[in-house]
Amino acid sequence: MQHLEQETYWTLLREFLQRFINLSEEEFNQWKPYFELRQFNKKKILVHKDEIDDYVNIVAQGLVRKYMKVKKGDVTLQIAPEGHMIHSERSFHMRQPSEVVVETIEPTILISISYKNLNALYDKYPLAETLGRLFATEMYIIKDRRFFEILKKSTREIFLDYMKTHPQMLQRVPQKYIASYLNIKPETFSRLKHLLKTKV
Amino acid sequence: MEKALGQYISRYADLTNEELNLILPRIEVREVPKRHLLVQTGEQEQYLNLVSKGVLRKYFFKGREEIITQLAKEGDLISSSVSFLSGQPSQYAIEALEPTIVYSLSRENLEQLYALSPRIERLGRIVITDLYLQKEKWEQDHIQFDIRQRFVNFVHNNADLIQRVPQKYIASYLNIKPETFSRLKHLLKKSPLIATLS
Repeated sequence: MQHLEQETYWTLLREFLQRFINLSEEEFNQWKPYFELRQFNKKKILVHKDEIDDYVNIVAQGLVRKYMKVKKGDVTLQIAPEGHMIHSERSFHMRQPSEVVVETIEPTILISISYKNLNALYDKYPLAETLGRLFATEMYIIKDRRFFEILKKSTREIFLDYMKTHPQMLQRVPQKYIASYLNIKPETFSRLKHLLKTKV
Repeated sequence: MEKALGQYISRYADLTNEELNLILPRIEVREVPKRHLLVQTGEQEQYLNLVSKGVLRKYFFKGREEIITQLAKEGDLISSSVSFLSGQPSQYAIEALEPTIVYSLSRENLEQLYALSPRIERLGRIVITDLYLQKEKWEQDHIQFDIRQRFVNFVHNNADLIQRVPQKYIASYLNIKPETFSRLKHLLKKSPLIATLS
């Protein structure tokens, strides 16, 4: 990673944190060493099933998928593009073997903080505690909102709304992953794609 | 109240007596008669509640059907928590299934506590993370376990609730049709597990 690119990633982190708390330049520079930049090839597994996830990651560049292996095939739980956070939540927070797999789709650069460093940050800076609380709150609210959206919308609406809010995903992500994430059968998904040609 | 509250908190954080004494005077004790609602859909949730006595159910409406997402008993936290945290109207209702007593903390009091103590804010962070992780687990259980497995897991972990909560509510919580639920219960009578049930 070139130096110039690194600066871009740190700016991204700063902006990410700034959404929740007011962090001065000086404070940010104190926090920075707790984080690390990690680089991965495409289709690289970041967290295996039954492994304890040791990192919270923000996608700086690339695309990462979280899924669960079941008898019927993989169920995609999350597709995280740039600016989104991804990890095996229950494994990371509860220090238990992961029930899910986290894997890159594209070559990816992550801004990561380890469990140990995150807790050191919480211990040293009360403002980090506020950040953690506000962040957990937002994650929880978003999760609940998605749950109700899927419940109340038709398959067609779920598809169209996702394509509208994530216009680049169809180019970047294998169709079967998006279909699985939206809980739409692959055949239905192909059929719905025709709607895009007339709409766009 | 002090003991129950202290026990609940100690699951998440090790607070000093001083910190506990900041919390205690801000707790309201509320009695909820059987069948009464603690919060209705469309209302803004004002409280986080710890169950001191009784059983409650939390549910939402899918069309006209009620779907239960939580059954809470003594020592459990219950609230329309997303509404509480976001200030948006509640999608959920909470109803007491037995005469119930809850220890409640209002949003205003919670904000005061955060301002008074970073360690209480930490407790808040950990409790909210736990709410999130419980929701994650509920969703993943539905992906990874079939109906029979969900039933067995529930019976295994909540033998007491089977006695206290009407069957139709447990079936709704497990997302199992009432007929299927009866059949599963019947099957269990043939296995040793039922000894813990009856």
